[in-house]
Amino acid sequence: MNVFKSIYEYRELLKTNVKKEIRGKYKQSFLGILWSFLNPLLQIAVYAIIFPIILKNTQKDYVIFLCVALIPWTYFTTAIVQSMSSIISNSNIIKKVYFPRVIVPLSVVTSGCVNFFISTIIILIFLFVSGMGITQYIIFYPLIALVQFLLLLAISFIVSSVTVYLRDLEHLIGVALQLLFYATPIVYAKETIPENMQNIINLNPMAHIITAYRDIFYYQTAPDVVGLLILLGITIIMCIVGYLLFNVLQKGFAEEL
Amino acid sequence: MQKTEQNVIEVKDVVKTFNVFYDKTNTLKEKLLFWKRGKKEIRKVLDNISIYIKKGEVVGLIGTNGSGKSTLLKLMTKIIYPNKGSISVKGKVTSLLELGAGFHADFSGRENIYFNASIFGLTRKEIESRISSIIEFSELSEFIDNPVRTYSSGMYMRLAFSVAINVDADILLIDEILSVGDQHFQQKCFDKLEELKSYGKTIVFVTHSLGQVEQFCSRAVWLDNGIIRMDGNVKDVVNEYKKITV
Repeated sequence: MNVFKSIYEYRELLKTNVKKEIRGKYKQSFLGILWSFLNPLLQIAVYAIIFPIILKNTQKDYVIFLCVALIPWTYFTTAIVQSMSSIISNSNIIKKVYFPRVIVPLSVVTSGCVNFFISTIIILIFLFVSGMGITQYIIFYPLIALVQFLLLLAISFIVSSVTVYLRDLEHLIGVALQLLFYATPIVYAKETIPENMQNIINLNPMAHIITAYRDIFYYQTAPDVVGLLILLGITIIMCIVGYLLFNVLQKGFAEEL
Repeated sequence: MQKTEQNVIEVKDVVKTFNVFYDKTNTLKEKLLFWKRGKKEIRKVLDNISIYIKKGEVVGLIGTNGSGKSTLLKLMTKIIYPNKGSISVKGKVTSLLELGAGFHADFSGRENIYFNASIFGLTRKEIESRISSIIEFSELSEFIDNPVRTYSSGMYMRLAFSVAINVDADILLIDEILSVGDQHFQQKCFDKLEELKSYGKTIVFVTHSLGQVEQFCSRAVWLDNGIIRMDGNVKDVVNEYKKITV
């Protein structure tokens, strides 16, 4: 409970960090904040061109099929990659000033989340342009986003603190994320792969999250709410475990950096 | 000194060791290939230290280089943690440990005031109500919108100090950075600290200037090689210290 109090006390630092991250990201570039839209759009374009060639029969409206999954996936990977180096890149402050260290991973995930909300506009534009529109199931969007936020926070606690002690983790996670990309139904639908593979994929929490986004935006049906609530419970537990680990490891940050 | 309710800082039986690596290995590859390099020396910086500081006390930490003064201060701010023993600090703490700590070189002085003050846990509203007095105290109004990388070390220190004393902390921990400023600003700092002292703030500061200790502190602690050589009345401690060092 003490954590929440100290985060609240240091909310201004959290706000400044998030703002800095969002604004600073494209500060030097000519197109500025437009990259928040252009980046995912170009990525979607790449996949939308390549995968219909590789896969024999893709889904109908493949661009939208991709877009609703790829945008939350980008949020996922970006937040993890940034978390890995977050403590190390803030070493000059961490070594010299006290503040609750959890602010660092928390602001990475929060700024990622804000970026994700902005990019959701792309999903909406695609849906309206294609004439699919949105349905009442969009009310589940905040729940899915919350589950993803907590999952990311838990992972962020772990990778940000462990990387300080074991810098190799950065490379391992890069590979792991690539593997996870294919173990998540992003470029394909879960139903199209063999059943025993589906069982493996079901162990991947991101698979459920992406499927839920796809349900509400693309298939326009209700997501698996019970599954999501179970996942919410699991992510909360993961957050607690992640925080406890972070809290033990953070005591050595100033000395290890 | 006995443990009482009034203690705002309690350092109890603290041991702090540092691992000194001859050649630190950070990656798995290095650890596997050069496992001999992991050789380290364990250096005890603080050995079983206990200090109890009451509210309103102004404590000067003196001692030669490497005696553990700065480490003790870092432990009090919770930047590092002890290997043994416990430290409890009650109340809001502000620390001035190193020059330019918590500053972004590319940000302007003004932006850094916001950033620095938010690291000390102030909200935007609180910062806004104080910003003019911070700038005024720092005497940097001409340069406040320039990036701080263009500042001299004296200007850095003036800005850092101005933020720190305006945070309204209960406890101030200051490492020997006061020596950077010119005579005029140093005097101004001490006047301000004197004022904070009269409000009952607790101040712990590290210095090599015995004059400052005599002038300003109500208690002196002499650290020598990680142990407390002497703790008590300013005059006695300073006199003893002079005998050994001069």
